[in-house]
Amino acid sequence: MSALILISVLGVVLLYLGLFARKGILAPVGIIGLLGVMALFWTGWHIPHAWLGGMLEFDRFSIAFNLGMAAITVLIFLFGPDYYERMERHVAEQYALMLFSLAGGFILSAYHNLLMLFLGYEILSIPLYVLAGAKKYSLRSSEASLKYFLLGSFASALMLMGVALLYSLTGSFDLARLGEYMAGHGEGNLVLGFGLFFVVVGLAFKVGAVPFHFWVPDVYTGSPTLITTFMASVVKMAAFAGFYRLIAATGMPGSLATTMALLVLATLLVGNVAALRQTNFKRLMAYSSISHAGFLLLALLSHGGTQGGGLSVGGTLLFYTFTYSLATVGLFILFIIAKRANLGAEHNGIFQGLWHANPWLALCGLALLLSMAGIPLTAGFIAKYQVFLLAIGAGWLKVMGFGVLMALLGVYYYIMVAKEMFTPAAQPTTFVAARLNWLVITLCTAGILLLGLWPSLVTL
Amino acid sequence: MELLALLLIPLVAGSILLVARPAAATARGLAFTSTLLTLAVVLWLWYNWTGDAVTVLSRDWVPAWGLRLSFGYSGIGLLMLVLTGVLYPFIIATGYKQPVGDASLVNALLLYCQAALFGVFMVQNAILFYIFFETSLIPIFFLLLRWGGEHKRAITVRFFLYTLMGGLALLFSIAYTTLQAPGHSADFSALAAANIPLATQKWLFWTMFLAFAIKMPVFPFHSWQPETYTMAPTQGTMVLSAIMGKMGIYGIVAFLYPILPEGTAYWQDFVIWLCLIGALYAAVIAFRQENFKRLVAYSSMSHLGLMAAALFTWNAYGISGGLYQTFAHGVLMICLFYIVGMMNLRVGSNRFADMGGLKTRMFRFALMFMLIVGNAISMPLTQSFPGEWLMFNGLWQLNHWMALAGVVLIILGAVYMLYAYQRVLLGPDRDVPIADADDQEHFFLVPLILIIFLVGLFPNLALSLVDGPVQHLLNAIPPLP
Repeated sequence: MSALILISVLGVVLLYLGLFARKGILAPVGIIGLLGVMALFWTGWHIPHAWLGGMLEFDRFSIAFNLGMAAITVLIFLFGPDYYERMERHVAEQYALMLFSLAGGFILSAYHNLLMLFLGYEILSIPLYVLAGAKKYSLRSSEASLKYFLLGSFASALMLMGVALLYSLTGSFDLARLGEYMAGHGEGNLVLGFGLFFVVVGLAFKVGAVPFHFWVPDVYTGSPTLITTFMASVVKMAAFAGFYRLIAATGMPGSLATTMALLVLATLLVGNVAALRQTNFKRLMAYSSISHAGFLLLALLSHGGTQGGGLSVGGTLLFYTFTYSLATVGLFILFIIAKRANLGAEHNGIFQGLWHANPWLALCGLALLLSMAGIPLTAGFIAKYQVFLLAIGAGWLKVMGFGVLMALLGVYYYIMVAKEMFTPAAQPTTFVAARLNWLVITLCTAGILLLGLWPSLVTL
Repeated sequence: MELLALLLIPLVAGSILLVARPAAATARGLAFTSTLLTLAVVLWLWYNWTGDAVTVLSRDWVPAWGLRLSFGYSGIGLLMLVLTGVLYPFIIATGYKQPVGDASLVNALLLYCQAALFGVFMVQNAILFYIFFETSLIPIFFLLLRWGGEHKRAITVRFFLYTLMGGLALLFSIAYTTLQAPGHSADFSALAAANIPLATQKWLFWTMFLAFAIKMPVFPFHSWQPETYTMAPTQGTMVLSAIMGKMGIYGIVAFLYPILPEGTAYWQDFVIWLCLIGALYAAVIAFRQENFKRLVAYSSMSHLGLMAAALFTWNAYGISGGLYQTFAHGVLMICLFYIVGMMNLRVGSNRFADMGGLKTRMFRFALMFMLIVGNAISMPLTQSFPGEWLMFNGLWQLNHWMALAGVVLIILGAVYMLYAYQRVLLGPDRDVPIADADDQEHFFLVPLILIIFLVGLFPNLALSLVDGPVQHLLNAIPPLP
């Protein structure tokens, strides 16, 4: 699979460029390379193909996810030059590590073999441990890195144990074999139950589901904002793609469904309730990402239900994660702009005066927040509604009713941020938006509104 | 084409205001002109009304979940469109005499809200309905949050969450029904054909009704309303009470009757009593108010309770009466809140303690107020009289005790309105400098009073719109067990 090779080479090239060239060309090279990767993926759209003896399977689902992840990474790279302007050293490493992590994401969205699942999971995670600590002299950043690393390794270990248990039953890492085995001796097999459970725990950790969410707020807050953006968007997409491939292969047996339902309930509850009390914007976004993980898990939980009119779980996950990532990127860039205007403060009040200083950015911010909240005419509404339809189709009425209630709480905290944008600031603040940042925010907003009106643009 | 114009005129005008940020006078002029244009379009639709439901557009948008671009209107929808079209120029015009905040911003928000409200009344697809239903909330939310009175933040947020809760419950019900409907279409016609078992209808009724009950509001889902109406700037209160509350009434007719006939029948008595008790309760509280605006807020709740009760009577009298009354009530609320604003302008507060003894100094004002109070207590010849009569008839056919409650309600309404009138104007003369109604205020109130008497004398203007559709509605519903 040439795209996978290209992206790895691209990372190495960036590392070398970092040694010899000015940092100004890093992002452009990275973006051009990513566009090349996307083009390579695109050529494979109509020809689903397996690779490495069937260990990776690039079907439409994985290609669509990979295209989405690469596109979001391009947006993040567009923001890069401005973000790294004042940083002299190790810039190339950060770009390269993001690309390596992305390569892990590609594997995670395409695996057809439990070994590849673990490999993708680790390739995705290990660069992130480094990236979270990218601000070497910041205590918070180092703390985030350490915390993420310790908890993350623990989760990987559990997952590996799950993979081993499953292997002990089927004698193969192949997902198809696993599916066959489960069809044969599905219910009541304790080893199988535990094996699946541990694999799910590993994935649930990565998506930030409660009770495996404790790293999320600290890591999101402590990491450099650009890395937080990457984690909240691309990594989330990759993790859910990986999750879906597992569920698609195993189906949703009763015991797993119960576990998942509990995960959904806990995630929705904790994510939304905790977000209500946050004053730090990055922490708020961390909890909001937990709550979105809850909705996405609800979509996963509905796998195998009787969906009407061709709604698929995979398509819904793609749409939801992609639009959520768009909104996240736009909001974090806006956050950086506001943070700079307020001498590095990170509380929600930094958005005050945005409307009076820069109406366009405020309107974009409003649209992005409304999309996060799931208000109609934005893509966020469509995404949530699809999840609700899926859940009803699968008969999870009560879980979904709870989700609706939690969505209501969600609207509150997003709206409160939006309100800050339209409140006049105590002292006049100037928000300086580089032209590129302005462009990215506008692109994200346009994407959100466009997908809100024509959701069929992003489908499998 | 006309419907598209109804959506686009306010949207474009609002956007111009938002982008160009003209001076206050220009902003108001532009907003007012645009509402006059929409009024003209609405009257044109009314003039060309033939009595059949009109479908303007019907094509797929997102087939996967039944979202279709279905636009059109029946007589009931047209009545609501007329209501919005007729009242909006007055709402905008209120800004001339009783301005709030940045004129271009306020008017832009009001116009966006108008577009969403037109949308609500012209769509024939449930998901589209929900989209407009929620979108209409956003401009109002910002209007209240920015230019509300005391405790605006807490009250606005409560209002927003309350309505949104209803909205989400509605969304849940729509999603559920869509999956049961033939072809997974969310068009009202398709939803009506969905065969939902009685056991499901029983609970689905509440998840649907919740949205409309909160919007109107009906007891016991009303606790957001008095605070919000009192705190909101006059124009915001007008939109909320005169038009947005009617979305609830419209929703009952558009959703509950066709989609959940058996569930509605099952809960009929309970809901009617709930509405009537709420109406009585609001009337009693209104009587005890020391604040003029709060009194009007409670009176609005009382009237809406009666209208909702009439809608659930399941006979032509009750439903036509309730629908007809939406129009009368809208006009009445605009008048009353404008008068509250006038008094506030003159004495600087809404409390009755600061008013009274002004009748000789504000003679023309007193006269106009009297005529409006006449409408509020449904004197014959005013617009409210035929509506109250029909609603009363509808209740009587169903249950004499309910009709009795209706009578008590009418009496209580007269009591608190006249008592309010007394406290505002009558009493021993006070020697304070106070201005009578000026030209602008005459320009505002006299046309409304003319409407009151015009429709009062010729109620068929509005009733003819709803007669056919109501018969159609009643015929379409299968005979009940």
